[in-house]
Amino acid sequence: MRLKARTRAGIACGVIALIFTIFSARLVYLQVEKHDEYAALAAQKHTMRQVIHARRGLIFDRNGELLASNLPVRTVVADGSHIKDADALAALAAPFLEMPAEELAEKLKTDRKYVVLRRGVPDDKAQALGLAMQKADMRGIHFEQDAIRIYPNGQILGHVLGFLDHDNNGVQGVELTMESQLRGRDGYRFIERDRTGREIMLYRGQEEGAENGLNVRLTIDMGLQAIVEDELETAFRDLKPDMAVAVMVDPKTGEVLAMASRPCFDPNNPGTALAEQMKNRAIIDMVEPGSTFKIVVASGALNEGKVNDKTSIFCENGQFAYGGRILKDHHGYGSMSVHDILVKSSNIGSAKMALMMGDDKFYEYVRRFGFGERSGIELPGEISGLVHPPHRWDKLTITRMPMGHALAATPLQITMGMSVIANGGYLMAPQIISTVEDADGNVVLNKPPRLQREVVPEKTAHFVNDALVEVVGDRGTAQLAKVSGYTVAGKTGTAQKASPKGGYAEGQYVVSFVGYLPAEDPRFVCLVMIDNAKIASSINYGGTVAAPIFSRIGEKAARYLNLIPAQRAEPVRAIPLALGDTSEERVN
Amino acid sequence: MNTSSNRRKQVNPVHMPSLIRWLLIALLCGGAGLVYVYIKNQQFALGEEIRQVERRVKEVRAANEVLLARVTELSSRRTLQQRVADGFIAVKPIQDIAIARLTPPTEAVRDGVLRTAFNEGLRQ
Repeated sequence: MRLKARTRAGIACGVIALIFTIFSARLVYLQVEKHDEYAALAAQKHTMRQVIHARRGLIFDRNGELLASNLPVRTVVADGSHIKDADALAALAAPFLEMPAEELAEKLKTDRKYVVLRRGVPDDKAQALGLAMQKADMRGIHFEQDAIRIYPNGQILGHVLGFLDHDNNGVQGVELTMESQLRGRDGYRFIERDRTGREIMLYRGQEEGAENGLNVRLTIDMGLQAIVEDELETAFRDLKPDMAVAVMVDPKTGEVLAMASRPCFDPNNPGTALAEQMKNRAIIDMVEPGSTFKIVVASGALNEGKVNDKTSIFCENGQFAYGGRILKDHHGYGSMSVHDILVKSSNIGSAKMALMMGDDKFYEYVRRFGFGERSGIELPGEISGLVHPPHRWDKLTITRMPMGHALAATPLQITMGMSVIANGGYLMAPQIISTVEDADGNVVLNKPPRLQREVVPEKTAHFVNDALVEVVGDRGTAQLAKVSGYTVAGKTGTAQKASPKGGYAEGQYVVSFVGYLPAEDPRFVCLVMIDNAKIASSINYGGTVAAPIFSRIGEKAARYLNLIPAQRAEPVRAIPLALGDTSEERVN
Repeated sequence: MNTSSNRRKQVNPVHMPSLIRWLLIALLCGGAGLVYVYIKNQQFALGEEIRQVERRVKEVRAANEVLLARVTELSSRRTLQQRVADGFIAVKPIQDIAIARLTPPTEAVRDGVLRTAFNEGLRQ
């Protein structure tokens, strides 16, 4: 039977329509039903999330001198899906990346799309590798923008600045405490790459720009820091102590102007430093402060009315029996005024003033001067020192603590304690961060000076100040701390070094001098502390070891700060630093 | 049967307006396709240009930062101190005699308090 032409045409059309319907149905199924699945598959194949690295904020000193900056480098990454011959690529790239070819080949033999081959590759080497790959028609290695931290001044201020770990996280110092401000926030963009691995701009997806880190300005003055570091380095080299510390602060604001410790390290190469070198001794080491602590008992006794400028205290001719033990003075003194007790640094006079005050009152003043508590400086790892409350004292503590024994303080606490006298009786909070600024220099965070408390009235502070001026005079224990042309006030300290086994180490001393100038209107307070200098015990005193270092620092600092001399300049005196004459007597 | 008249009757005349309309539609579709391809190519070409410019900007920025880092290092206190120590730069302290002070130091006054230029009282 022959179908009619119309029928045949109808069947043909129907078949074609059916075929198209099937194709359409399949298309709808793929485009609608399976859309998400295949879109994800395509995205996984071609799209990747590219990180836009934020630039870490810079660190400046108070005058804008750059202390920490960034050096652009490349992070070299491999995309396994684009590598055809891993061994050949490894052989080509190994010299540029300074890696063994075998190790590199192992990393390249992967299907993963993102494998970090090496970080911190200099820009020029990365570009050279890119060209070499282009010439050899090889693919699979990409370069990402990155940066490493550099500290142009090397070990100068290393303890304060700190350093970063491999993931660019702050590990120590300001880098750690200001991490949240310095770090910034990485951005990202979704991109698609062609078969050669190049980005197809047309398909650039969602993008969020990086937020660069904020810049941090310190209170440190690099001019003063360099002076302090230079003198401390010389002392460390000549005296070979276990450690040396110098701290300089502005007594009126509590701003730290300089802070240095020895031994030290270079934050550009923290991996080569020993743990001992990385300690910022100014805040994480505690020592018995010695006689520098006598300002606390004198201030307390004066303020409580237990003594006054006319009070005479009998100093037992150098031997004071108390609590079954004999407390000695360096020289035997009879009756002395409070002023002279400080000038001559009498242990017995200081102990008697503490006894007049009583345990609780004396302890109160120790705490009011900031001992036994963290100062709150913006540096990590600060310790509080060690000051036992009166109920844990033994019978001798009240006579030992006034001369700076039976307690432990950090060098920064001692410096801030002296600042109380220098600024007229106020305990300022030490600060090392001045401002946080954006890239245009707009201040985002300002840290004004913070008063912690009024410790003693101005009158009391001036009384102690007068005595401290004479400590550096011809009658005092710190004649070598004089700075020609300026009135210097300060106090020496010589404490036997505590032994880790208990008691005191024989013949080992922590000597210090903490002073300020000009005494009439102090611009800075500076502490110099030398722990176990390798010199003869007979000359290992704060007045002979630390005071001359202070003098040299003070003279240079006064010149740097352009302080106008208020006194007639004295002829330069030769400072008999013990080394020259007694090198054979050094304790080894 | 007159074939010539039949043929004349069966001739389908070309309907010019319709033909032109469809031709125009076809041309429009074809043109739109060509323009689409052209614009797409332009986009790729511009994208590539943008990519190259971005790369160049990145390189220049990086080179600038490398140079800045180098300048910072060369002008750092450590390097300058090293150059002083090596004798490349000579630094001599300014002698007091060479300093001309605009405000002469005021020494002890009647109240016995020493004044310096930095005294807060004198600033006012």
